[in-house]
Amino acid sequence: MFNRTIVWFLGAGLMAGAVFAAEPQDLPGTNPNPVHLIHPPVQPLSAMARLGRDVFFDISLSSSGKMACASCHSPDHAYGPPNDGPVMLGGPQLTLPGMRAVPSLTYLQRQPDFSIGPDDKSDDDNSPTLAQRADAGQTATRVQKTATQSDQSAENIVPQGGLFWDGRADTLQIQATGPLLDPREMDGGSIEAIAEKLRQAPYAKKFAALFGEGILKNDNLLVAEATFAVSRYQIEEPSFHPYTSKFDYWLEGKARLSESEMRGYRLFNDPRKANCAGCHTSKPSRDGFPPLFTDTQYEALGTPRNSELADTRDPNFFDLGVCGPVRKDIAEQTQFCGMFKTPTLRNTAVRRAFMHNGVYQTLQQVMDFYNFRDTNPEKVYPIGADGKPQKYNDIPAQYHANVDVIDPPFDRHPGETPAMTEQDEADIIAFLKTLTDGYKPEQ
Amino acid sequence: MKTILLSTATLLAVAVAATSPGPVTAGQNNDKTDKSGVSVNDLPTRTPIKHLVVVFNENRSFDHYFGTYPNALNPEGEPVFEPAKNTPRDINNLLSSPALLTNNPNLNAANGAGATNPFRLDRTQANTSDQNHGYTSEQKAYDGGNMDLFPSTVGKGTSGSAGAFGTTGQVMGYYDGNTVTAFWNYAQNYAMSDNAWGDQFGPSTPGALNMFAGTTNGFTLPVVPPGKPTTEPGLGQALLAAGAGVPNSDGSLTLTGDIDPAGDVCSSPAVQVQMTARNIGDLLNGANVPWGSFVGGFNLETINNNGTTGCKRSSAKQVGGNATDYVPHHIWFQYYASTSNPTHARPTSTKAIGFTTVPGTRKIDPANHAYDLNDFFTAVGSGNYPAVSFIKMASFQDGHPGNSNPLDEQTGLVNLVNFLQEQSDWDSTAVIVAYDDSDGWYDHASAAITSGSFSPADMLNGTGNCGIPGSTPMPKGLSGQPVAGRCGPGTRQPFVVISPYAKKNYVSHVLITQASIPQFIEDNWLNSERLGGGSFDATTGSIMDMFNFNKKNSIKLILDPTFGTVDTKDKSKN
Repeated sequence: MFNRTIVWFLGAGLMAGAVFAAEPQDLPGTNPNPVHLIHPPVQPLSAMARLGRDVFFDISLSSSGKMACASCHSPDHAYGPPNDGPVMLGGPQLTLPGMRAVPSLTYLQRQPDFSIGPDDKSDDDNSPTLAQRADAGQTATRVQKTATQSDQSAENIVPQGGLFWDGRADTLQIQATGPLLDPREMDGGSIEAIAEKLRQAPYAKKFAALFGEGILKNDNLLVAEATFAVSRYQIEEPSFHPYTSKFDYWLEGKARLSESEMRGYRLFNDPRKANCAGCHTSKPSRDGFPPLFTDTQYEALGTPRNSELADTRDPNFFDLGVCGPVRKDIAEQTQFCGMFKTPTLRNTAVRRAFMHNGVYQTLQQVMDFYNFRDTNPEKVYPIGADGKPQKYNDIPAQYHANVDVIDPPFDRHPGETPAMTEQDEADIIAFLKTLTDGYKPEQ
Repeated sequence: MKTILLSTATLLAVAVAATSPGPVTAGQNNDKTDKSGVSVNDLPTRTPIKHLVVVFNENRSFDHYFGTYPNALNPEGEPVFEPAKNTPRDINNLLSSPALLTNNPNLNAANGAGATNPFRLDRTQANTSDQNHGYTSEQKAYDGGNMDLFPSTVGKGTSGSAGAFGTTGQVMGYYDGNTVTAFWNYAQNYAMSDNAWGDQFGPSTPGALNMFAGTTNGFTLPVVPPGKPTTEPGLGQALLAAGAGVPNSDGSLTLTGDIDPAGDVCSSPAVQVQMTARNIGDLLNGANVPWGSFVGGFNLETINNNGTTGCKRSSAKQVGGNATDYVPHHIWFQYYASTSNPTHARPTSTKAIGFTTVPGTRKIDPANHAYDLNDFFTAVGSGNYPAVSFIKMASFQDGHPGNSNPLDEQTGLVNLVNFLQEQSDWDSTAVIVAYDDSDGWYDHASAAITSGSFSPADMLNGTGNCGIPGSTPMPKGLSGQPVAGRCGPGTRQPFVVISPYAKKNYVSHVLITQASIPQFIEDNWLNSERLGGGSFDATTGSIMDMFNFNKKNSIKLILDPTFGTVDTKDKSKN
């Protein structure tokens, strides 16, 4: 066994080599240590998934009669929002702005349950409550998150996993129920109202075929099966997790990165530079699953307040993510106030609404936020009456201590040199564009 | 944080090892003679069975897996199941009365939004939430035998991973032959019981202990959480409050909940329990019968493909997500000083597997009959096939909702049974597939309570009652006095016997329990010696009805490990 351990360490070393020492050997931009990635099995959609597809595109389930799941999770936009604004408009007249930017539905099939600290899946009988885990986190030391230390930081007793920006749903089925009922989104009204629409839907007979005639008489179960079918469509339909980006092909030795992309890749992984991979994990898992570009943990970044959002007209309104106001079960864990889930960066380049509040429209703005938040906050936050930048202006003062000032590049101070040059940012953005699915490798 | 937890566990393990007999001085083997020369096939047995393999899975009720057996819905694209014409129809399942599926007692208003008829879970819904399966909660669901409070008392627990299915009233869901296809095919070709029960209500640990020792009475708590009482009366009250144990008038404690075993380096450092009863391993050691327990994740030195090792070794589920392989509170032998292997010490060699002493020596083998599941394949494949093997799959394949699911469970079971059918000793093998608990999943049947309990933990028929006061007897504890916390039979579970001597396509109606497993071992190898101390092995029913020892079925049934469908049916050359 000892020998095997050594082999594993060598394996890890080779991977690091791929990250940092990819000097041009024969063909520039190739991966000197190609890996074999495990891809999800591609099979014909099950009857359940085909039913889910019908539900996913059904506009009749909304009060407007014009909005389906696919309206905000557009298949043409990596199952993210198709519009230019920070949020989508919903409700009965499609005039009510949503509260947060629409997350992509891609790459969620491996998402772990929401937990505080690593989710111990061995012990469903004796799982500690979230409050107990949070208490444990109070006294635990937190490992700094750097691109080269992600195995250690994965053990941090901090929120991780779950769905939505605040992790309040564990399953795609529960997640699908949220927008269906949200008055600012599909505004389905009630379980009973949605069940009635499902009974009238052209695909209603498919429920009976899968679950028996009795299903149409049981509102709760009918809606549960419909939303499960949607989740199954997301699990089975390959376009929700294609892993066909240029970077995936590069990992497998089937594509070459340009000079700029390669530089961006190194900066992305460099703990002293952008350190993006500290949270947006770029390594394949040890058993060969492609990287998800998120560690699924939660961070309080101190994103600037977005005055474009309807909610922010109320100066006392603060969207604090894990501790509320949408999520309500761990509101007392105020050390998590201001924390939102780290999203995947796959297909991020096709988005036009970034961060939980959609405050940024371009990747350039996002890079500037990371680069200047601590060294030049005046470039990131509005200037207050006192003439100083209003740092963390979307989080109440008593929770400012929750904001991450440990993980690079957030460990810098005013006046210090920013982590990235203009060219660095451009190169990283070039690399991020290699994470867009649908790349056609040269033969 | 993790480092702190681990080092605490290690310290505890050292402390416990210092105060309790470890494997080196354990059990019935103080004469320290070489016991390794036994030829298993030459051991005298009451039946032609020379090798028993018990696959002890997790948390499924009988109706949950066989509710509509042998009728499957067969939707397009799923593995097809068609029953043989001669399949018995007198099975006690959801088809035995039409109203069970269309006008079920759980439709009653007390179940609130969860009130529902039983409903089919599709193969795409193999990954579900876990249900509530506490000793008291299960009794409440059974509601004095009315079987009508499942959604309100044992409904949804944890949520499962991203692709999981969950709904109010989910506890009423059942699978059919399109999901548990291998089970249904084994039932078509071998024997199963529709009358198999947990010896008592409650979760995993009590089930595992009843399978191994026939009792949950008599334990100590070497590790108690800081600030909790360590002596009576406070200790018993704390156990009752935690739903973990019941104090008795003879001063003993009965285990009703899941607590990790004392001293196991992988156990929770917060609270640990040690049982004091005799177990079937002690009897097998006393008679020098080679035996072993083979547990997924037990070898702490192994490194899985995903790089995990030690107590945190984990495997990827085919339905998504990972599960830690080794779960201490499922592991029967770790609860007893005489059979435990708290450090997960390795056997000295493959040849030593099954034996107390190292082959050719008088030295006690450090593994103490406790091995990794991989060791089972290695040992049996090399011709060292113990008489009795207890199997615990790695948790992703143990069947427990949440960490496992019927599809991963099927893969683990089929790979094991396919492997055994290829061995030359298959013709003297019996595989039992049984369960530690129902998980709370709906089942329409209840057994007449024969072991009563009247404690604050009991709620079957009114507060404080499980059984009729003054009429239903309480079982005896280790001291010989009646004890509480052992109320049963509890929940009904699947029980399948796969063997050349199993009756073909047969459903037995003889009432059996988890303790019927040690009873069979005693009857076959030990001249029906019983464990004593109130063990259920003396009073429960026999599994012999599922065998016909005059007729050997030499057809091998090789199943597809992914779909559970029949790959080949070959006349055995053995």
